[in-house]
Amino acid sequence: MSEGKIKLAIIPAASCGGCDVSLANLNEKLLKLTNFVDIVFWPTVADFKIEDLENLESIDIVLFIGSIRLKEHEEKLKLAREKAKILVAYGACACFGGIFSLGNLFDPEELLEHVYLSNELITTDNTEEEIPGQKFEIDGLDLSITPLTDLARPLNDFVKVDVYAPGCPPREIVLDMLIEVISDYIQTRQTPEIPLVLAKDTPLCNSCSRIKPKKISIDKFRRIGHEPIQQDLCFLAQGIICLGPITRDGCRLPCIKANMPCRGCFGPTLDIIDPGAKFASAFAPLFKLDEEKTLSDEELIKVVEEIDDPIGYAYRFTLGISLLKRIIREIKEGRKE
Amino acid sequence: MEDGESNWEPLIVAFLCRWCASAGADLAGVSRLEYPPNITSITVPCSGRVDPQLILLTFVNGADGVLIGGCHTPADCHYIAGNFKALKRFALIRKMLEQYGINPERVRLEWISATEAQKFVEVARDFTEKIRKLGPLRRREK
Repeated sequence: MSEGKIKLAIIPAASCGGCDVSLANLNEKLLKLTNFVDIVFWPTVADFKIEDLENLESIDIVLFIGSIRLKEHEEKLKLAREKAKILVAYGACACFGGIFSLGNLFDPEELLEHVYLSNELITTDNTEEEIPGQKFEIDGLDLSITPLTDLARPLNDFVKVDVYAPGCPPREIVLDMLIEVISDYIQTRQTPEIPLVLAKDTPLCNSCSRIKPKKISIDKFRRIGHEPIQQDLCFLAQGIICLGPITRDGCRLPCIKANMPCRGCFGPTLDIIDPGAKFASAFAPLFKLDEEKTLSDEELIKVVEEIDDPIGYAYRFTLGISLLKRIIREIKEGRKE
Repeated sequence: MEDGESNWEPLIVAFLCRWCASAGADLAGVSRLEYPPNITSITVPCSGRVDPQLILLTFVNGADGVLIGGCHTPADCHYIAGNFKALKRFALIRKMLEQYGINPERVRLEWISATEAQKFVEVARDFTEKIRKLGPLRRREK
């Protein structure tokens, strides 16, 4: 600990570790940063316990990584908010629920049963049939594993977030902006008044250089890997799902340049209430646009229904901020009850 | 909702296009045809204007069913192709609802012309009964 340095904590919750790697990828910049910043908590790289966090009087900046999937994550988040001057939702999971929120397609009990009790996963070795959330004691010590929350949720379902750093994981350009936020804080010691989003408000399509036809008519839905993808033509015009129209710009298009469609890890643009529904609104009408007057209603519905896994595509990183999470599921495992 | 399930009545919001379905509903009223009071109708310029976001918002804010009424395909739409947009969006949002675990029967699309008051009444009755069978849609606070 040295005088004058600000305190930074990096707290992971439900995350894959990719966000931590993206921070480590800062290389020399990370070293330079440590001239001004003391990293007081980062369990991914060194042995920290939750008590280390509790013992700190205050923290200047917290980078919170991952979504909230366990009761323990929720407690950590509340602790972080209590201590932090600036709480940064770092990565798509913290901002929008991320990949983990696709688990909201199942109830917690279904997830636990599948992972811990069914024999479908070869890695499961659980003869005593113990699952998280059950009471578990050894020699009078409570070793119960923390239970799952009802849904995988983004941070702003629980606390106020000051800075959103989107991406899966956040790209270098986002990190550069984050470092700017940190250096602003070092100079002014002010928390941003309104939440900052380290991305543009405009959609990705604005900076995509692929040819966009004036009128797009899709003959059928295509999946990646089944047919060759044209290098210079808009993905939507090829019948491939690309979330460019609903996703924030600011990533410098690494996926598009690698001939892969946008998955939406920067989250929805400002005016969108529900990202997947908005995408459905934009994408569905393109099917058979040229032939719609000659086809029957049933034929048109059939063409659109060929899209498999529409939620997986349209809400890849954003099911945690969808309106759907406010509706309680009534059909389980495809069976109507 | 859960406490008073025995007195529960389905709440259905109908988005009806100004030119056909809404005019059909008006005619049903003028002709003194009876249909269940569970349907609350909202007139929109065109069925193509009913964004799937609007359907989800309607569910989140208390509806148990959503009816969309538009002009007959292929040639009746006042705006030429708005009804096709509605049809294709309807197909996709239904599939999404089913994948998420919400009964897709809670959304219904019908083409009702300005003269089809009888059809509107039949759809209203039938849809109300279907939603009554499905029961209330349950929600979370956040």
